[in-house]
Amino acid sequence: MKQRTKLSQEQQNAETQQARQPAGREFASVDEMIRFDAAQTVVPPEIAQRLKKSTDSEPLPDRTWWRRFFGGNP
Amino acid sequence: MDDPIQRETERAEPPVLELAPDEFAELYRAHSREIFYLTLRLLGEPHKAEDASHDVFLKAYKKWDDFRGDASPRAWLYRIAINHCINLRQSWHSRNLVSGVDESVWDNATAKADSPLRVLEIKELGDRIQTTLDNLSDEYRLLLLLVADEELSYDEIAVLTRQTADAVRGKLHRARKAFAAHFDKTA
Repeated sequence: MKQRTKLSQEQQNAETQQARQPAGREFASVDEMIRFDAAQTVVPPEIAQRLKKSTDSEPLPDRTWWRRFFGGNP
Repeated sequence: MDDPIQRETERAEPPVLELAPDEFAELYRAHSREIFYLTLRLLGEPHKAEDASHDVFLKAYKKWDDFRGDASPRAWLYRIAINHCINLRQSWHSRNLVSGVDESVWDNATAKADSPLRVLEIKELGDRIQTTLDNLSDEYRLLLLLVADEELSYDEIAVLTRQTADAVRGKLHRARKAFAAHFDKTA
């Protein structure tokens, strides 16, 4: 039990250390800081849901150019 | 002369647009984070960024045939997003509206899966970055946000911001210095 408590404490310390890392870290540049901020940003799933509804009510677009980027048949 | 057989054959072919929604979903998956982040930091409020991101991708969906392939899809989406945000900001300014920010909406803009401490710290970093960007000129803000996306070249940023690549480099140098100076004040 004691062993488990110790392990748990160590785990907690490690997790806390890991958790603190983002704010504690030093960024080498402004670009890196903004890049990190962007990477942490979660896109709200509501956008995709709304977009699905919106595109469902739209006529299908011309896909001519689309094929060039996704490797389909011209 | 109109050939009814050919017409029937054409009708019988599988619709070429059938897969478009899947491909559009792939485009969204590949670029939605960058577009959402750009709109978030340009507009400063998550719910406005959510609306703007929806509108940007819907415009892209409607304007497929306007895209000539002379830029990457991401640069094209950025172009739509930048114009959309500029129009929104001009509209707000012209109406002289001051928007009250609901602080709780920021909670949805950070990684939900992370520990509370980490979320809090990331939120704090995001707040400081937003405050700093809000203190910069529109041009510096946009340049810094675009250059942070490593998939964009200086040439693409130059086209997006309607200037030469050399001008972009020069202004970025000053923009980074201005950002760093303002960021220190937000501590």
